[in-house]
Amino acid sequence: MSQLKEISPGKKFWVEFVKGIVVTNPVFVLVLGLCPALAVTSSIDNALGMGAGVIFVLLCSNIIISLIRKITPDMVRIPVFIVVIATFVTILSLVFEAYIPPLYESLGIYLALIVVNCIILGRAEAFAQKNPVLYSIADAFGIGIGFTVSLLLVSLFREILGTGSLSIFGFTLFSIPVLSETPMAFFIMPPGAFLVLGLLLALFRWLGVLKNE
Amino acid sequence: MNNSTSLITIFIGMVLINNMVLTKFLGLCPFFGVSKKLGNAISMGVAVTLVMLLASLATAIIHNYILIPFNVEFMNIIIYILVIASLVQIVEITIRRTNILLYNALGIYLPLITTNCAVLGITLINASAGFSILQSIVSAIGAGVGFTLVLIIMSGIRERLEIAEIPKSMRGLPVAFITAAFLALAFMGFGGLL
Amino acid sequence: MENNKNSKSAGRKILESKIYPLVFLVIIVLISVSLIMVIGNITQAKIAQQRDAEILKQLNIIFPEMTDFKYLDKYYEIYAGNDIAGFAFTLKGKGYGGDINMLAGIDSNYNVKAISILSNTETPGLGTKIAESSFTDQFKGLGQQDVGLTIDGGKIDAITGATISSKAVADALRGQMEEIIELIKNSN
Repeated sequence: MSQLKEISPGKKFWVEFVKGIVVTNPVFVLVLGLCPALAVTSSIDNALGMGAGVIFVLLCSNIIISLIRKITPDMVRIPVFIVVIATFVTILSLVFEAYIPPLYESLGIYLALIVVNCIILGRAEAFAQKNPVLYSIADAFGIGIGFTVSLLLVSLFREILGTGSLSIFGFTLFSIPVLSETPMAFFIMPPGAFLVLGLLLALFRWLGVLKNE
Repeated sequence: MNNSTSLITIFIGMVLINNMVLTKFLGLCPFFGVSKKLGNAISMGVAVTLVMLLASLATAIIHNYILIPFNVEFMNIIIYILVIASLVQIVEITIRRTNILLYNALGIYLPLITTNCAVLGITLINASAGFSILQSIVSAIGAGVGFTLVLIIMSGIRERLEIAEIPKSMRGLPVAFITAAFLALAFMGFGGLL
Repeated sequence: MENNKNSKSAGRKILESKIYPLVFLVIIVLISVSLIMVIGNITQAKIAQQRDAEILKQLNIIFPEMTDFKYLDKYYEIYAGNDIAGFAFTLKGKGYGGDINMLAGIDSNYNVKAISILSNTETPGLGTKIAESSFTDQFKGLGQQDVGLTIDGGKIDAITGATISSKAVADALRGQMEEIIELIKNSN
């Protein structure tokens, strides 16, 4: 506690926030949440939708878990976390189905699978249950945005190479002349997901952003 | 329409065409974490298949006899995850009490399975496909066999990769991902099977 | 913290009692279930409304001349002025990613007018091609007996690499057409 007091709460908020995006980037550094990073990155729209969903669930569950951290019995800690997370995922999935049905359809079961996304349970266990609400909010935003940025990066490569064009919410940003007529559909199919993520991981390691194993 | 999907079609579809790991990206943590040794891969595969089977049976009954009649299908996520978490506990206790050898082989993997997205994934897939209880069981076995198959193949390749000369930045996970990419590409060849 | 030791110890007694963890878990589950029930009931109405709006939009695409329609239990009767322009119905096919939801329109001679894929969860880039016009246009003008893949004796070419998805659409349509045409004939 004494360590935390040396930094002002405001500063600590930003430290936690930035940490989630860069230093502990969930996908590229912690290598967590791989399933959505591969499954929903076939288009930018899906990546944004999934990112927003994860931020919402992470934020809500971090807040609640941090609020009840002092009265949560250690023995049933994990089941309580899972119930809290599952509640927010259900709410998210109902809201998506009612208000943005196309996104709900294209995310499919991966929306519900946010429940078992290791990132969210991981943050509950490693951060929210030990820290006050304000820092838990910063942590949720940092990790959530870090996750979204990673998804966007993967989907950027996949959508451009796989369709030859880039569009956001139905609005085409640009289209590459030859590639869009004969796109490399490989990249939007499952094998392309593995290849792009593998090469990006290697690239980050090569750049020295990541430690070698 | 639902009843006409034959059980064999479901089974082969789940093992080869809609493989859990390679096309649905489910169960990746054990896929990359455990698949370094053949023995571990088999144990993990058996444990996951067992839990998938039990979870699918339980959730199919709940889905068809509780959620649909009461029109509360939107409760499925929370109910399924609670069912899976309790099932894993029960299986762990039962195995520990009855067969210590089996427990030693599978024990350490069981707690990991609760948060294995493949288990929740298969129950959600069964529900969204509107499968009957029998169809759910077959699809769960298929998914488990497919998962085990890919885990075994991968562990074989990775044992070989351990001694291969690979650029430093590619070692470990990146090369595992690229291997998975080619494996997925090979499995796409099964797409025309049915 | 040290000052209110008495109130603290009463609180601690509750926290340390043996049944407390179970009670706590049950309370959390009850809160979450009631919250989901409330939100579920609110959104359920909206979801049904969305689905109706989507069907109306698709009906207008299949029958541009439509002025009115009537829902008769299992199918829609489409009117252009006072004449019956055709019939439409929703149907489900079993692809291998899950359900393929479709809307099909048939003209008054019981030939396919057009079909549209409302939703599907097929493999991206392969199975999802069933929703493209290059596939769905093949159905236009076919009689019920011709709806089927060429390998099954019909007139629909399957999408390469997505035979299951293609077959699911064709088979579901043929089956449902038969049933609906029967219904229409009986009602006249």
